[in-house]
Amino acid sequence: MIGQAAVGVLLVIVGALLEGVAQVFLKKSVLRAARWYLWISLGIAILLVEKAIYSEALLFLDVGAAFAISSFNLISITFMSRFLLRERVTRTRWIGVCLIFVGVGLVAARA
Amino acid sequence: MTKRKNFPIRLALGLFVAILIDTVLQLVWKSAVVSLPSDGSPWLNVQAALHSPLFLFVILLMPCQFLNWLMVLGKADLSFAQPVTALSYVSVFCLSVFFLKEPPDLVQIAGILCVLAGVWFISQTDHITEPKEREA
Repeated sequence: MIGQAAVGVLLVIVGALLEGVAQVFLKKSVLRAARWYLWISLGIAILLVEKAIYSEALLFLDVGAAFAISSFNLISITFMSRFLLRERVTRTRWIGVCLIFVGVGLVAARA
Repeated sequence: MTKRKNFPIRLALGLFVAILIDTVLQLVWKSAVVSLPSDGSPWLNVQAALHSPLFLFVILLMPCQFLNWLMVLGKADLSFAQPVTALSYVSVFCLSVFFLKEPPDLVQIAGILCVLAGVWFISQTDHITEPKEREA
């Protein structure tokens, strides 16, 4: 049986992945003139689902821990930007993202 | 050696506004939640929130934040803009220490330094991928 904390961690990670997808859709809405409203609507809908999942996760985890784990969205957004939006993500940008990921984790873990 | 692209002033302003709104949202949200009655049911909390000027202010700020974010995304890569907005953690930390008199913590200071270093690394990269570079 999965512990409550594990369920919380899983929910936060799913939320972080969904936020990545939502941000990709929002970016698509400004990249393509055609059907931009569709991308924005999908992006907003997914963001709302993500907020609901995050709220559910807070029933199982402390806010500080949930916030720290949710910084995983930086990694997921960078991956999705690279492979779904074909952005040029250099090694320097990756180093920056990883440092911010660690930094936000440290700040949020003590919040 | 490739030449760095010029950094548009509107993008710098957009990122600044995104960080500013995010900071205000985090601080106001915290104050608004604290002001709610602690023994109320979720429905009573919703009712109280709808009558709280702080919550109404937050609700007003959210569309502004969203529109500004779309403007930023129109001028920068998602993988550039999103990590830069992590600077709001730095501003919230500084405001909490200087104005709310919350004692700084060594782990948090290390985290803030990591965020600052990370944003510096990201600022050394081009802010946008051109369409021809995307196809590569």
